[in-house]
Amino acid sequence: MNLINKLAYYLVIILIILSINFFLPRAMPGDQLAYLIGENPDMPTRMTDEEREVLLAHYGLDKPLSEQYLDYLVGISRGDLGWSIYRSAPVLEVILVRLKWTMLLTGTSTVIYLLLGIFLGAESAWARGNKKDTWSLISILTVSSLPVFFLGILLKIFFGAELDIFPLDGAKTTCASYANPLEGVLDILHHLVLPAATLVIAHIGGTYLLMRNSMLSVLGADYILSARAKGLSERYILNRHAIKNALLPIVTMAALMVGFMITGTIFVEKVFTYPGIGLLLYDSVMCRDYPLLQGLFLIIAISVVIANFIADMTYIWLDPRVREE
Amino acid sequence: MTRMKVNDVLGSLGLGILAILVVVAIFAPQIAPYDPHHTYKRMERPSSEHLLGTNDIGNDILSEVIYGTRVSLFIAFMVSITAITIGTSLGLIAGYSGGVAEFMIMRIVDIFLTIPRLVLIIVIAAFMPRSIWNLIAVFIIFGWVMTARIVRSEVLTLRNQYYVESARMLGGSNLYILWRHILPNVIPLVVVQFIMEAGHVIVAEAGLSFLGLGDPVARSWGTTFHYAFECPTLYTSDVWMWWMLPPGLCIVATVLGFTFVGYALEERLNPKLKTVVGMEI
Amino acid sequence: MRISDLKTNFPTPDGIVRAVDTIDLSIRDTETFGLIGETGCGKTVLGLTIMRLLHPAATMEGEIIYKGKNLLEASEAEMRTIRGREIAIILQNPTTSLNPVMRVGEQIAEAIRLHQGLNKKDAAAKAVEMLDAVRIPSPSQRANEYPHEFSGGMKQRVMIAMGLACNPSFIIADEPTKGLDVTIKAQIVELMKEMTERKAMLLITHDLSVARELCDRIALMYAGELVEYAPLKGIFESPLHPYTRGFLGSLPERGLVPIPGMSPSLIDFPDGCRFHPRCEHATEVCRREHPELVEFNAGHFVRCHHARS
Repeated sequence: MNLINKLAYYLVIILIILSINFFLPRAMPGDQLAYLIGENPDMPTRMTDEEREVLLAHYGLDKPLSEQYLDYLVGISRGDLGWSIYRSAPVLEVILVRLKWTMLLTGTSTVIYLLLGIFLGAESAWARGNKKDTWSLISILTVSSLPVFFLGILLKIFFGAELDIFPLDGAKTTCASYANPLEGVLDILHHLVLPAATLVIAHIGGTYLLMRNSMLSVLGADYILSARAKGLSERYILNRHAIKNALLPIVTMAALMVGFMITGTIFVEKVFTYPGIGLLLYDSVMCRDYPLLQGLFLIIAISVVIANFIADMTYIWLDPRVREE
Repeated sequence: MTRMKVNDVLGSLGLGILAILVVVAIFAPQIAPYDPHHTYKRMERPSSEHLLGTNDIGNDILSEVIYGTRVSLFIAFMVSITAITIGTSLGLIAGYSGGVAEFMIMRIVDIFLTIPRLVLIIVIAAFMPRSIWNLIAVFIIFGWVMTARIVRSEVLTLRNQYYVESARMLGGSNLYILWRHILPNVIPLVVVQFIMEAGHVIVAEAGLSFLGLGDPVARSWGTTFHYAFECPTLYTSDVWMWWMLPPGLCIVATVLGFTFVGYALEERLNPKLKTVVGMEI
Repeated sequence: MRISDLKTNFPTPDGIVRAVDTIDLSIRDTETFGLIGETGCGKTVLGLTIMRLLHPAATMEGEIIYKGKNLLEASEAEMRTIRGREIAIILQNPTTSLNPVMRVGEQIAEAIRLHQGLNKKDAAAKAVEMLDAVRIPSPSQRANEYPHEFSGGMKQRVMIAMGLACNPSFIIADEPTKGLDVTIKAQIVELMKEMTERKAMLLITHDLSVARELCDRIALMYAGELVEYAPLKGIFESPLHPYTRGFLGSLPERGLVPIPGMSPSLIDFPDGCRFHPRCEHATEVCRREHPELVEFNAGHFVRCHHARS
């Protein structure tokens, strides 16, 4: 598949995501209007037919479906993701305020777990097949089976509550005044440690295992023998010949992992009351803020698609055989 | 220890864990000391009467966790069996018939794999009334995808093998060839998928319930966990030890059971392909 | 190079694989020595043993004396200074032996930088020279391409350039013509002849026609041991071992008659002569006694009880 095809494919995916987002509430058994104004089905809002008409017209729900769909797409292209009744603010604005915290959290964790997983996996393959290897496999399988929220709470109870070395909640100390900017940065980092550690521990297993297996198969390849036949040192062969080849499957998986990472972030932000979009998603579920919920789904899904696209590009950049086509 | 032995040990360990859980689920009414919906004194510490104490509305926690086994395993089983059946059928159709059907199925698979599935599940679940049947339905919608993909690629290789070719040459009907020659070869893969999917569902269901999207009446481990997490004295007392730890450890044990069995089976069938159950959350 | 009493074994779950079993031979400074045998007879393992490139679990006994030094006793660090510089191996299967994600020029230049201490630019220039020497058209452009952009014959040329880059005095060429069609094969043979003129070469192949073009002496290997070795003429004009005769019979101009039966596994050899189950002249003594390698004529060795007949 060449670049144009790939781009077209991702555009189609984005269109499908937009459509799911549009049709989802309309396909649900409840009342569209009730979703938009965040009504609790157990306590229906009392309104006259007239008031209802006005509201329907306000949201454009009196128009035919095709026209609504078109309006929706036009709105999206202008950055209009709807209005959150609960927060009395445009959905996009609410999300953007929170986005930076999530980016800090996922960004840090992703970099750490990828680098660490790749490093440990490569090392483990290099020192292949011994008792240590077996135990590391079993412990990785065990750690990977801890659900992220359970792991997060355990870390929180142990390091936050019992040992009291890290804060329990939030992204920074509330109402703090810092003597200098450095203090502020340190405070933010201090709050970041436990949530980021949770995400790293939860995600490192997959990368480690994949890198280990991929490295093992690369080390058995003829071109590694060929490199050794040139008299190159083992370290040089690992760095220059093996790693780049072994990374190829990791790149493919990294795109998949972005989806997992975002899911994990929802749980971690909930556990640590970290003020990113994951917590926002949780809050919007709890208070039935459907416009916000849908806006969040859209932003998350599109970020994942973009991450997939970046992964594809990285693959092409790494593998000259794909670059050709 | 050789690889083979490690597999056998892990596999038997996993089977053992799963067997115990199934027994607990089936005989929950006999094993549990109390009715999980009956209320006693609230927030009791563990005692000889209530081994794991009581929760904020006075239910016996041990009984709740034992009945939770039923709910969690029931959801995992229902979802896996249905999703795997759908996935296998679609995979067989896509791989064997090719053409438009294959194109359509595989595009849907691609799209499903690109969209972050748990986020979409959360969004859909948020629109629906909280009940285990709704949870099961949502998980099924997204559970068939991997199976369809794996089965299809297996069918593609099988289709060109000589015995399938010759069966076709001898005039075997398509249905007959699928049933007699292809399905038996796909079954081992499907079994592994079933186990992996069950593990995924256990984690995903627990996650959803933790977020408060579970059935508040038929409480799974995740739901119990959710209410424990909402407890205001969670970090200032030991209440987490008897309220949060038991359901949490049950989830971990179940996932480990599925992981070990799945890993052992997969290692035997296809040593190259390895995934980790529960990676998603 | 003098190899004596060389044994290479691999432990496997099914038993010990005796891939190279008590081999003695010596290769002179400028000669090309052909090592011929069917797939799985241990000839590739012999090449890798000389380079000490086998899996760490493999055990080696005997001596490989090269320039007064026993390679089997050399340390890994010493071996690294020998590999590529003193002794080079041209591995089989150029398609899998070239790193798919590294430019061809760099794959040649890295050895030059290592062994000749040239800087990046000079080494790259030398790599282009090498590509030119193996007659790859527009070498400076091709050096920046990746292996998948080369045809099979061109990849084989790259392998040769890679092996010869540091001007080694001893070359091991493992099946350099495998999988190539007749015209390309002839070109590669021609190239090898020219490039290795004043060097010692161990040519490992199952292709007698290639061996006839390139070799001064030829040895036939069967089930881990040498069964006959002699100057080129001796092998082609007066072959002594039934296996050699069978092998010659499988040449196209002699009617492509295959040797009946299969070569034995390297774990469990037949008693007596290892070839007897496939030999039409086998007698009781062949089933019972393992024949020794004896000098039949001057420089013509054979391992057969019935060499006279």
